[in-house]
Amino acid sequence: MAEKNLTENLIPTADYISHHLTNLTYGWCEKSQSWGFAYHQQNIFKETSCKVSEMGFWSFHLDTIFMSTFLGLIFFGFFGLVLMGAKKGVPGKVQNFAEFVFEFISGAVKSNFHGTSKIIGPLAFASCVWILSWNLMDLLPVEMTNFFGANLVNSEGTSYVGYFKVLPTADVNAPLALALVVMFFVTFYTIANHGLGGFLKEFINPIELVGYFSKHVALALRLYGNLFAGEMIFILIGIMFGQFLLSFGQTLWFIPGLMMNLVWALFHILIIALQAYIFMMLTIAYINLACAKH
Amino acid sequence: MNVNATFFAELIAFCIFIFITYRYLWPSFSNILEARQEEISEGLEAAIQSQRKLEEANEESRKLVEDAKSEASSLIAQAGSRGDQIVDEAKNQAIEEQKKIKDSAEADIEQNITKAKEGLREEVAALVIAGAERILNKEVDESSNKDIVDALIKEL
Repeated sequence: MAEKNLTENLIPTADYISHHLTNLTYGWCEKSQSWGFAYHQQNIFKETSCKVSEMGFWSFHLDTIFMSTFLGLIFFGFFGLVLMGAKKGVPGKVQNFAEFVFEFISGAVKSNFHGTSKIIGPLAFASCVWILSWNLMDLLPVEMTNFFGANLVNSEGTSYVGYFKVLPTADVNAPLALALVVMFFVTFYTIANHGLGGFLKEFINPIELVGYFSKHVALALRLYGNLFAGEMIFILIGIMFGQFLLSFGQTLWFIPGLMMNLVWALFHILIIALQAYIFMMLTIAYINLACAKH
Repeated sequence: MNVNATFFAELIAFCIFIFITYRYLWPSFSNILEARQEEISEGLEAAIQSQRKLEEANEESRKLVEDAKSEASSLIAQAGSRGDQIVDEAKNQAIEEQKKIKDSAEADIEQNITKAKEGLREEVAALVIAGAERILNKEVDESSNKDIVDALIKEL
């Protein structure tokens, strides 16, 4: 009897993981010919709604869009507010910090980019700051948003937004969008500096075409993969100690779980900053290459 | 990993954030930092200049002190020589005065001597005449023998 209760308490691991990795999706459902939230993520039109996997291209990850825009507004707003109250004389602590960030990025641009371009600085700044703001969300407890979301239950006891991925980088769309912008600028500067002929001449060897696209896809996937894996390890740590806690009924399992999370989070801080930095540096390097005379 | 229309939303958002950075954040950061750079370089320049001025002022003050010192020593030397001069003058004056006093005293003495000689001579003349009268027992007419007497007195 007791054993049966225990196994009932266990969370199906695959469900737990897929739950954590599913975005809050709103999209076009072929089956019902209507727009709506995915199945399981709302409770009203269960029969007529699609699963996330059944939705086609025309669906939106609302959590990614919301979080990325929200974080962007906070971080860019921070810099904007600092600049609004900025003094030209002796800066305060906050202004000092903002200027440090700016000087760090503009220093990286100056030392790695040898052409003349007014957009590359802002591009590097925007990508670095924005990606860093996303990546920082990885340090939030992995269970937190789902926990709060799960509390927003309707009358039938089902969560409205039990699905909420707080980390935009772990959704491949976001890094891919950044990489596409980088690709646009790389192409633009190649054509601007070497002419359309010069740009096309690069692809005399067709393997270069693969390289051209894979370079930018890799730029996105590097960022995505690192953060996705980091998130995954947090989830696995959560599962492991959650299962221990439920199977053995020992609240003390909380402590090693916390320790492991802490260790991984401390290491992850490095990855968070590093990936934002790498993305920025590669952006600068690619555009520098596009502007270089060769 | 499912690529869907979220991509476009992210694309638009990224473009907007790049634009915001390009239009507002980047230029004002550059302006602030450039202004500060200018201010700092101006400050450093001013510091260097004031340092130079300080050195000049130090040099000048040292020169002034030196001048004052040499002037003072020359003044002291001058004063010393002047003092010597005064002492010399006083000495000379004293010597002169002494000489004058001595001269006048000598002149007085001379005068007294001549007066005394005169007196003596007259007395001698009177005595001579009295003696001659006694010898001759008659009155000698002084006026008639004046030449002889005078000659006698002169021989005395």
